[in-house]
Amino acid sequence: MRAAHAVIVAWLLSGIACVCSGATPASISRDEARVAERMLPDAELRLADGRLMRLSALWRERPLLLTLFYRHCAGTCMPSLLLIRDAAAGSGGLGRDFRVLALSFADSDTAEDMRAQAASLGLQNDPNWLFAVGRTEDVQRIADALGFWFRRDLATGQYDHPTMLVAVDQGRVVRALLGYPIAAERFRELVWELRGSFVPYYRLPGQSWLRCFEFNGRTGTVRPDWGMLLVLAPGMIAILVAIGLFAYPQRPAAHAASPPVRASETAVR
Amino acid sequence: MRQVSAITLAWIAVVALLFPILIALGIYMRTVQSGHLAELQSWFYPMMTLHGLGMVGLWFTAPLACVSDALQRHVKPSATVSWLALGGTVAGVLLLLICVFLGRFAAGWYFLYPLPLMGGWPKWSAVLFLVALTILGATWLVWSLDLLRAIAQRYSLSQALAWHYLVGRNEPEVPPLVLIATVSLIVCVAGLIAAVVVVALFYADVFGGIKSDTLLMKNLTFFFGHVLVNLSMYLGAAVTYEALPEYAGRPWKTNRIVALSWNAVLIIVLLAYFHHLYMDFVQPEAVQYIGQIASYVSSIPAAVVTIFGALMLVYRSPMRWGLAPALFLAGLAGWAIGGVGAVIDSTITVNAVLHNTLWVPAHFHTYFLMGLVLLTLAYFYHRTQTGAQPETRASRWMIMALMFVGGYGFLLMFYLAGALSVPRRYALYPPEVAYGASYAAAAAAFAAVFLLGFLLYLRQLWKRRADAATAQT
Repeated sequence: MRAAHAVIVAWLLSGIACVCSGATPASISRDEARVAERMLPDAELRLADGRLMRLSALWRERPLLLTLFYRHCAGTCMPSLLLIRDAAAGSGGLGRDFRVLALSFADSDTAEDMRAQAASLGLQNDPNWLFAVGRTEDVQRIADALGFWFRRDLATGQYDHPTMLVAVDQGRVVRALLGYPIAAERFRELVWELRGSFVPYYRLPGQSWLRCFEFNGRTGTVRPDWGMLLVLAPGMIAILVAIGLFAYPQRPAAHAASPPVRASETAVR
Repeated sequence: MRQVSAITLAWIAVVALLFPILIALGIYMRTVQSGHLAELQSWFYPMMTLHGLGMVGLWFTAPLACVSDALQRHVKPSATVSWLALGGTVAGVLLLLICVFLGRFAAGWYFLYPLPLMGGWPKWSAVLFLVALTILGATWLVWSLDLLRAIAQRYSLSQALAWHYLVGRNEPEVPPLVLIATVSLIVCVAGLIAAVVVVALFYADVFGGIKSDTLLMKNLTFFFGHVLVNLSMYLGAAVTYEALPEYAGRPWKTNRIVALSWNAVLIIVLLAYFHHLYMDFVQPEAVQYIGQIASYVSSIPAAVVTIFGALMLVYRSPMRWGLAPALFLAGLAGWAIGGVGAVIDSTITVNAVLHNTLWVPAHFHTYFLMGLVLLTLAYFYHRTQTGAQPETRASRWMIMALMFVGGYGFLLMFYLAGALSVPRRYALYPPEVAYGASYAAAAAAFAAVFLLGFLLYLRQLWKRRADAATAQT
């Protein structure tokens, strides 16, 4: 019993702490929403194979999934790229509907570093994956347009930065995902939108229980979820309560013995 | 006629106190919208919240009190629970007053999630608002269950729902009041359970940090709100079935059509709320069509059968005209007119244009102000005139004329502005719809005329009550 109380108290305290911290999942989503519909600036990029390409030339060919990273990241860059690689392969449409552009934001990274990064992911021969570097000021303009920030820690040489994946169509940001790890279903939603399909229902981060509907990223359809039972429950419960009340009435002796009143017997003045 | 009970008199006092204040808040809002009272503009949304919640709550409880009173002719509701309902309602209202006036809580009577937790008001006021809702919801749920229990003491469920009329049997005879009250109370329990779920999910967010699905909350909130408003109207109709025959000199009995129509209401009213979510494109298309069809169908059984029945009751009857029957019939007319406005707005293609314009408050003010309010006032007047002399023809006409001209003038401004796409819930109108200000000014004036009519009604009611008391002594 004490253990149960302790669990309840801990749960309440953690909830209050969550509310007070202000780091609600919804705020992450608002940050993502702010990026949508922004236009990316054009810039010249050097790809891993040494070619110089304009960013606009890339998005004109095919929509892009853009992520920012740096080669020597000891944090989330490599795991994020692995996740994106696997999710892109699993969602379908890579190459046909979109390509992935991994852009380094570290001014020390070179085309050679990009080749090494592609090789470490086993993507060195995949034409649908592009690794690129750019001039410092160009990369900064792109980062600013996306609200992406990075800070170098002089002690470690590492960068402090968020994780971001952006769907870009004709230079316009269709949608962005922030945070690590990227859930496969959110990635699939991103791809559906990149293909031009309307996704009517999103699961907001942290709001994963009792939803009305669920968007199936594999089929692109919306289906009812468990929360719909809560919508149906009040009517059902009310009918059951009525059946219960009438099935087991506590009839007083006087009323039980008397016949129902006839409307015609009621006083008509 | 039975003596009017102390609890019914207490409810009349509550209406006499709160209704003029809430009307005054409405006049204040329309005055602000007309571009005046600049120094009080910042109170617009807290007052809109209080006006909406107060009116919906008041005009749910007042007709329920009427039904509770009328049912005593046939069954025996608990007096203790009736007083508990009054006490709980007063306590809930007091808390609402605190959170609105001290906390400036302003999430509107819809309190759509997550707005109550994200507005510019202090968190305590949102929590206090939830506590007030909890008290009101729990009180009304207990009250509804007690009335159902009282009916169950006398009738089986099939009898109370008049199913035997559907198969051609007229015995045992079930008064329409019992049938309509049973249907309305079952629906009421469903609505209040939805409210309990909504409030519980709010608490889960406030105290547990557990976020809820906004669409789920909207479905539940509108299920509760739609059901509450509609069944309030049905409660007003129920007491009309009980009282109007006393003036027509004819009984108004349950028959197969009446039984069929009110049983249909039991199902249909649970589905019509989908019309509030037409703009929520995530809802499956089928649900939107169900919302439109249910909105159309729900108006036929309840309103048409009742209004047609009332007209047949009055037609060539030895009618004893007075303020009470005049208010009953005017109330039924208001229900019909507001119902047409509602059906128009529930048409999906029309709603795409009229959604969140002043057409919406136009239609619900019609069936509330000129429908339910008049029916309830009629029943109060009906119950307080025992042994008293009838009112003079002049005072009756004065009250009716002021309420009619004031009420429909006020509503016409809503309808015209709504048809011209003036949005609702704007404290001040932007230049694109600046013409909404003149409609608001006229509406405020008309509402003041209605208020004057209501005050004259109260004076007449007080006089009648005093006359009756004198006659009894």
